[in-house]
Amino acid sequence: MIELKNIEKTYRRGVENVRALRGVNLTIDAGELMAIVGPSGAGKTTLLHILGCLDQPTKGEVVFDGISTASMPESQLVKIRREKIGFVFQQFYLIPGLSVFDNIALPLLFSKKPAEHKKIEQLAEMVGLEHRLNHAPSQLSGGEMQRTAIARGLVNDPAVLLADEPTGNLDSENSEKIYAILRRLSDEGLTTIMITHNPELAGRAERTIKIRDGLICS
Amino acid sequence: MTSYLKLAAKNILRHRTRSLLTMLGIAASVGVLFAVLSFNKGFTEGLALELERTGLHFMIVPSGCAHEVAALVLHGAVIPKFLDTGVMEHVERTEGIDLATPILVAQLPDRQRGKIDLIYGIEMDVLEAIKPGWEITGTVPRHEHEVLLGYEVAQHDNLKPGDPFSSPAEGVDLVVAGIVGYSGSQDDAFVYLPIKTAQSLLGYPQSATAIGVKVDDPTRIGAITASLTSAVPGIQIVTMSEVMNSVANLAAAARALSLAIVLIAILISAVGVMNSILMAVFERTQEIGMMRAVGASRWDIFRIILSETTILALVGGVVGIVLATLGARLIETFVRSVMPFVPSGDMIRFEPIVALGSVAFIFVIGLCAGIYPAVKASKINPVEAIKG
Ligand SMILES: Nc1ncnc2c1ncn2[C@@H]1O[C@H](COP(=O)(O)OP(=O)(O)O)[C@@H](O)[C@H]1O
Ligand SMILES: [Mg+2]
Repeated sequence: MIELKNIEKTYRRGVENVRALRGVNLTIDAGELMAIVGPSGAGKTTLLHILGCLDQPTKGEVVFDGISTASMPESQLVKIRREKIGFVFQQFYLIPGLSVFDNIALPLLFSKKPAEHKKIEQLAEMVGLEHRLNHAPSQLSGGEMQRTAIARGLVNDPAVLLADEPTGNLDSENSEKIYAILRRLSDEGLTTIMITHNPELAGRAERTIKIRDGLICS
Repeated sequence: MTSYLKLAAKNILRHRTRSLLTMLGIAASVGVLFAVLSFNKGFTEGLALELERTGLHFMIVPSGCAHEVAALVLHGAVIPKFLDTGVMEHVERTEGIDLATPILVAQLPDRQRGKIDLIYGIEMDVLEAIKPGWEITGTVPRHEHEVLLGYEVAQHDNLKPGDPFSSPAEGVDLVVAGIVGYSGSQDDAFVYLPIKTAQSLLGYPQSATAIGVKVDDPTRIGAITASLTSAVPGIQIVTMSEVMNSVANLAAAARALSLAIVLIAILISAVGVMNSILMAVFERTQEIGMMRAVGASRWDIFRIILSETTILALVGGVVGIVLATLGARLIETFVRSVMPFVPSGDMIRFEPIVALGSVAFIFVIGLCAGIYPAVKASKINPVEAIKG
């Protein structure tokens, strides 16, 4: 469902060029749980952002459900992010002033959909936070914050969930809970891509790709 | 999450102290703007009412003294010339005149006490009509030899109603009938007494600084003043509407100056709002990046940040108007202490149109102040903001 064709990404840092990705080819099938591993600075995050239409490649093209995003204007890319992509980050990025409920519902504001209570409650239940909906993020544990962020990533019913080191800030017990949720989502048919430094978790994914120096090496 | 406004409001509440201070800046300047705008309305209306209450249509003064008339009518002023003794007779003989009342304001040296009294001679019922706001301890003079003292005069000589008041003329014993409460204006410095007494103390039985005139038919003021000026040499006539105009012009000039100052204050508080929101934007760079990733467009971000500024400006504006309305008496007291010719009664009245206009104005200013931070926020590169 997503195809990366010979993706290159070059950043400018002062006078030198940083080649973050140097020709990545990758096909992602619907419903699979994929882990991306590799050393720090290898280009994992860059790849994830390009997959999520948050960043544009310098060269090559991303084909999303058969449609190339190469020449799409920003407004079209926003639409894809809203409708098809869910993002989860290592640092959660919850909004401190909003309740768990409102944090989960936030993307609906941008997709101009009503925040139906039933839907938010279902999502909260799915990540085990149904009793926390009125809490502020500051009252949550790290694991609960990340589960809130996952629910937020799912609120627009995306086709793909992209998680950048979702367990990077969590202990093993909480990491296990997060993994279990991602596993269940992928079993239910959601395409799930996760960057991780945890070899144990990566080993349990259906597919693991390894990135080094901007290239897929296995 | 129901709306951008709710999100913006929640964001403002995250930095309560900072938002409160910024909002108070707006509130203060909008409050003053509202007060200045309403003040002018209340001021001119109050002034018109005050002049109308004197019941007089015009004043006759020695020619060349037209400028002192406003001061004379509103709080007494010493005009360095007297009207000729024959003028009063002329005026009384003129047709269409209902009432002519002489007013004598003069300096009266008192050698015994080694000081100079400022005396204000007038018919007492006319005085009461001119100064309805006075709070008098004792009574207004009912007899020939009674005087009414301004607050400072009474303070200076430590006098109470019933005390004798030293008189410069031999064989005349004056008694204090009453004392006027503190006004903070020049009223405090005068000795008020019946016109006849004033004239005899001064030694000119027919003299007057001015003659206040009421006519039978106000539509004929023009004709009457014309015939008077041609018949009596050495006089000048100033109508109450001319007094009104010259004082109103003065007030308008004062208002223009205050408005200029208020506008600068508003600009400064707008810069404060801009700065406060800009800080909030920089602090929330990552959060804004996240919002872009979960589906916010640049325009969405722009609107959220712009809403924050306008909410601050609007709330500040409304608070400012409420404060100005509640604190109106306080502001009036201040204005009375610095401005001459202030009419009694409320000068600041709540006018919905003026309030609405002030809020609309600050809304527009808020929008303008919000544009820069909102553009900045919308240009944040999400990829750089959320480096994982
Ligand atoms: N916005 C950027 N500007 C310049 N260089 C960048 C930027 N983002 C990433 N890089 C560089 O690109 C390379 C890959 O980064 P990244 O994709 O974040 O790696 P990873 O997620 O695997 O640690 C790194 O050398 C990094 O320094
Ligand atoms: Mg990374």
